[in-house]
Amino acid sequence: MTWATVAKKDFRDAVQSRALWALVGVFVVLSVLSTYAYVEAPALLGAATEATFGGLIFFTIGLVGLFVPLSAIVVCYKSLAGERELGSIKLLLSLPTTRGQVFVGKVVGRATVLAFGLGVGLVVGLGVGAALIGDLEAGALVVFVLTTLSFVAVYATIVVGLSATTGSTSRATTLALGFFVVFELLWDAIPMGILYVLEGFSIPSTMPDWLYPLLQLSPSAAYFSAVVALLPNLADAANAESAQSGAGAQTAADAADPFYTNPEIGIAILLLWLLVALAIGYYRFDASDL
Amino acid sequence: MAAIELEGLTKRFGDVVAVDGLDLTVEEGEIFGFLGPNGAGKSTTIDILLDFIRPTGGTATVLGYDAQSDGLAVRNRIGVLPDAYHVYDRLTGRQHVEFAIEMKGVDEDPDALLERVRVADAADRKAGGYSKGMRQRLILAMALVGDPELLVLDEPSTGLDPNGAREMREIIRAENDRGTTVFFSSHIMEQVEAVCDRVAIIDDGHLVAVDTIDGLRDATEVGETLYVYVSALDDSVLERVRTLEGVGTAAIDDGRLRVTVDGVSKFAVLHAIDEITAVQDFSVVESSLEDLFVRYTNDRPEIES
Repeated sequence: MTWATVAKKDFRDAVQSRALWALVGVFVVLSVLSTYAYVEAPALLGAATEATFGGLIFFTIGLVGLFVPLSAIVVCYKSLAGERELGSIKLLLSLPTTRGQVFVGKVVGRATVLAFGLGVGLVVGLGVGAALIGDLEAGALVVFVLTTLSFVAVYATIVVGLSATTGSTSRATTLALGFFVVFELLWDAIPMGILYVLEGFSIPSTMPDWLYPLLQLSPSAAYFSAVVALLPNLADAANAESAQSGAGAQTAADAADPFYTNPEIGIAILLLWLLVALAIGYYRFDASDL
Repeated sequence: MAAIELEGLTKRFGDVVAVDGLDLTVEEGEIFGFLGPNGAGKSTTIDILLDFIRPTGGTATVLGYDAQSDGLAVRNRIGVLPDAYHVYDRLTGRQHVEFAIEMKGVDEDPDALLERVRVADAADRKAGGYSKGMRQRLILAMALVGDPELLVLDEPSTGLDPNGAREMREIIRAENDRGTTVFFSSHIMEQVEAVCDRVAIIDDGHLVAVDTIDGLRDATEVGETLYVYVSALDDSVLERVRTLEGVGTAAIDDGRLRVTVDGVSKFAVLHAIDEITAVQDFSVVESSLEDLFVRYTNDRPEIES
């Protein structure tokens, strides 16, 4: 299985990247700061609700939902396009391996690098939070961290998959940023826009059922739903806070009622992204002249 | 079984034909030179052998396996020094060789291989800091991992100084002595001449010659060229020289008479010229394969295309 060797080499190589460590540093600082803000803010504002560990987890989703896509782009956009542009892919592919093995090896290698960096940041941030709150729900923590690492793996696959479709790093950058802008920044607006047009240029008072899964196509929205689906008790308890927590939570909150009726769709959509990215990336990479 | 067999191999990039109906057989055990000017289609052909690119038409078979459908079987049996490659800047020389060893699933000592190509003292340095020549040696070490049946070397002397190029040739010969077939490309005749059993010359995507070095010499009637300084030189003199027995071609070149000599002694020709116009001085140039190469790749009659 040469993909494992490729993944190991890729990890060795990418883990020495300064950009990665700068990213991990920023994430650790942000994660600690936001945790501190979450824990201390209610007391400062004299709010009635106490900070809970479950609340902290849902508060952290917003940060992760923004940070994972950006760091996946930084760590992965050059993974295959860069090797093709430079020519190191020729060294790799003249060894006894196949393009499929190289592609999978790259996905695994980059996902591991990313999971390693973000895992460190997450554990430090939540660790500080747990110490401040004086509470730690080990089960929830494990589920949350594993879900987040899966989200990281899906995003790494998406960006490596995009990188596999081209031999030019500038084109890979455009594709990755384009994906981010469309599916992370604008995705709330696009299905709403479609709805607006379909309803004869007006927003109906009740949202149709198909709007909800469409909104979930944004990977970070799907991630949020997945966490809700896997930690339903905490989600209910944290519901009040999630409205204030901004960014990541917002997309899901827009979906209003249906969101809470079937959050499992988030898991399915993450899985769908994984398969689509693998299929498109492999197909394009395997068919191309290097 | 042939080491490499190309049948009607064609590759188009858009409306550019890089390789056009190439037929070529490389036998097992030989050192085969693949010669042509830059852009002739050498690297395209090699890239097809390695399945980096897919042919538009024809087939490429390596050690009995189809290069496209059985690429893995091909790469399991060959060692490659590709063209226009790039090393992993952040990995050390030893890590590169270890990677190749692991990928090929063999058990070899990376240091012995690095020693063989003489970069052992830089084994722990990151390859990003290597000179072009050191990188070339490093990649050669990776190619030698697993004792391949066939070495495919694309422009192996690029970036090497004369000493390095000689060491490269020694390694090629040593590998060949162990039974390895060597297929290497070059745009420099001299390197090919020094080691190859047989040579193919490719130009503009077409094969223009396949032969042994001696065969090439014989086939192209390039013997020796005389440069003669004479007291009077004009077209009438030239015409008369052309009719002399044993003169292949004659031309005025930079104020001198350039005469190729076939079949008779140089002295006889000089003597005959002296009777037409007084010979003041002369020099003899033995045509090298370099001239031959230039002739094959530049002097092809325009009508042909």
